[in-house]
Amino acid sequence: MDAICNWWNDLMSNDIWFYLLTTAVKLVIMFALILAFVVLSVWIERRVAGWIQDRPGPNRAGLPLFLLQRFGSKEKQPLKDVLHFFGIPETSRIARLCTWLRLDREIPTFGLMQPCLDGGKLFLKQETTPSYVRKLYFIVAPMLVLGPPMVAAAVLPFASCVDTIYGSISMCVANLDIGPLWIFAISGLSVYGLTLAGWSSNSKYPFLGGLRATAQLISYEVAMGLSVIPLLMMFGTLNLQSIVQYQADNGWTLLPLWGEGLSLQRWVMMLPLGISFLIFVTCVFAEANRTPFDMAECETDLVGGYHTEYSSMKFASFFMGEYAAMVIGSAVVVTLFLGGWSIGFGADAALASYSQWLAVLCQTLMFIVKLLAFIFFFVWVRWTLPRFRWDQVMKLGWLVFLELTVANIFLTAAVLYFVK
Amino acid sequence: MIETSICQIVFYVFALLAILFAICVVGSRNPVNSAMNMALSFGCVAAILFGLGAQFLGIVQIIVYAGAILVLFLFVVMMLDLKDEERNTGSMRSAAVGTTIAAILAGLITSISLSLPGATEISCPMAAICDNIGELAPGAEATQATPTPGYGGSLPALSPAAAAKAVQPDISDAEAAKATSMQDIRLLGQTLYTQYNIAFVILGFALLSGTVGAVALARKIRKD
Repeated sequence: MDAICNWWNDLMSNDIWFYLLTTAVKLVIMFALILAFVVLSVWIERRVAGWIQDRPGPNRAGLPLFLLQRFGSKEKQPLKDVLHFFGIPETSRIARLCTWLRLDREIPTFGLMQPCLDGGKLFLKQETTPSYVRKLYFIVAPMLVLGPPMVAAAVLPFASCVDTIYGSISMCVANLDIGPLWIFAISGLSVYGLTLAGWSSNSKYPFLGGLRATAQLISYEVAMGLSVIPLLMMFGTLNLQSIVQYQADNGWTLLPLWGEGLSLQRWVMMLPLGISFLIFVTCVFAEANRTPFDMAECETDLVGGYHTEYSSMKFASFFMGEYAAMVIGSAVVVTLFLGGWSIGFGADAALASYSQWLAVLCQTLMFIVKLLAFIFFFVWVRWTLPRFRWDQVMKLGWLVFLELTVANIFLTAAVLYFVK
Repeated sequence: MIETSICQIVFYVFALLAILFAICVVGSRNPVNSAMNMALSFGCVAAILFGLGAQFLGIVQIIVYAGAILVLFLFVVMMLDLKDEERNTGSMRSAAVGTTIAAILAGLITSISLSLPGATEISCPMAAICDNIGELAPGAEATQATPTPGYGGSLPALSPAAAAKAVQPDISDAEAAKATSMQDIRLLGQTLYTQYNIAFVILGFALLSGTVGAVALARKIRKD
């Protein structure tokens, strides 16, 4: 036992091994978190869509009750029998938790198993590759859509840092000094996936979808990059961890209620920052190819857009890529504008002085709560607003957003210079 | 020591890959293959920049070239639906033009590398920058670094202090040491807006004239 402890001590005292091991653990956590959220956001999308359209939505697939039914009869509520089998009283906490999860109903767990069943269905479907496609690019394209959002997530901080006896661990996979740029650059690469999918399908509608995707993504990337400049002028850094730390100390970008956030300058800054927020969120919608900007797969005029010829898991990759882009987009908005992991009102520092690990746990939960809230907003917009016309999308990008963002940069500079 | 050797391996692997993909750009017949190889080549160059510690330049390489310009190339190639090109061999004129352009480019790169501080004393400009790192060590006297004969193949990550020294050879060691706390973005901005300000503004005007030209071309011509 002592030998193992000593070996562990030696290993962790080595800077390189410490860095490698902590990074690997953070990588696994981040990747699992993002994938879980991709799956969860599909479910949120369908449930919220049902709620908005006044219908139940997917509610049939719960925890597999037939497993429970092995213990009880089919007609009666199996939950009671199961509880009885394990000797748990019906008034206990476990029983109440099971009731809250609706395990005693015919329709269990709010249909939360639906994404798993969808995934299984797509996995088992027959894979058809049309004979006329350009094979190599046809296969590579789905990977190019799903991969970039996952890589882009590496710079997102999900909690503050922890000091251990071996060194400090910053709770983001790669603490780069170019955080937002890394996300823009890497997630911008998914445009290759869409374009190549459209082109390699070698048929008319996918090709039009691919072209639309290229034009739209490039146009909105310009406005997106310019719209965060006011924020960067205020923060004075491109490191996402420091940006969130600043927000934790001095008020979230859009909620400056503590620390230096109570100054006149920050409140005047709300005007350019508000404009930035509106433009950035709209651009995130456009970059994620979501309604009202889903020009590339607009089924009324393009059948299915760039993924018309795809089936089975290749289609699922496009599907997951879209939701991954949505999750990453939401995470970026939360990090830049809504305080990232910070709990707010100085609670971060207080918690950290009590216990850093507890603080990290609470901050991760806070980040997840904010992320879920913003994903809900994403879905809400999708099922509320109608789709734009193609020329309107282009006009909005080049004639409104570009000019507005450039003017906004000058406005921010003026505010920072004149209002102290 | 491990870090430097990893840096070296990464540098040589990506440099080799960049050259290989660049050859594929010229060699492949299908225009889309060429464009994709070019994207990979840009990616490798960005990786080299990352390895040298110039994270901002690397990411800008990806955003601007791989993310925007090359996608437009691809867009045009696909729109025109270019067929595989016929292998065209033996045109003396095109060979001569190509050689001239390549020679001019090589001359430019050589002259820029030679103009780096210390490049003429040591065989490699990067090695000169490494020596400056040694000079900047706290407490070290500002003595002339002994020029190491030959390029030993050590390519460490470019530290901001060394970079500051490289772009502004006349600044004092204290100022350069202060630059270690600066990020490479700030350093780049300072260099562009002070030392190369006029060239920067002229380039800005050149791009503006290009934009105005594009708008003029795209404008609908009224018939009256």
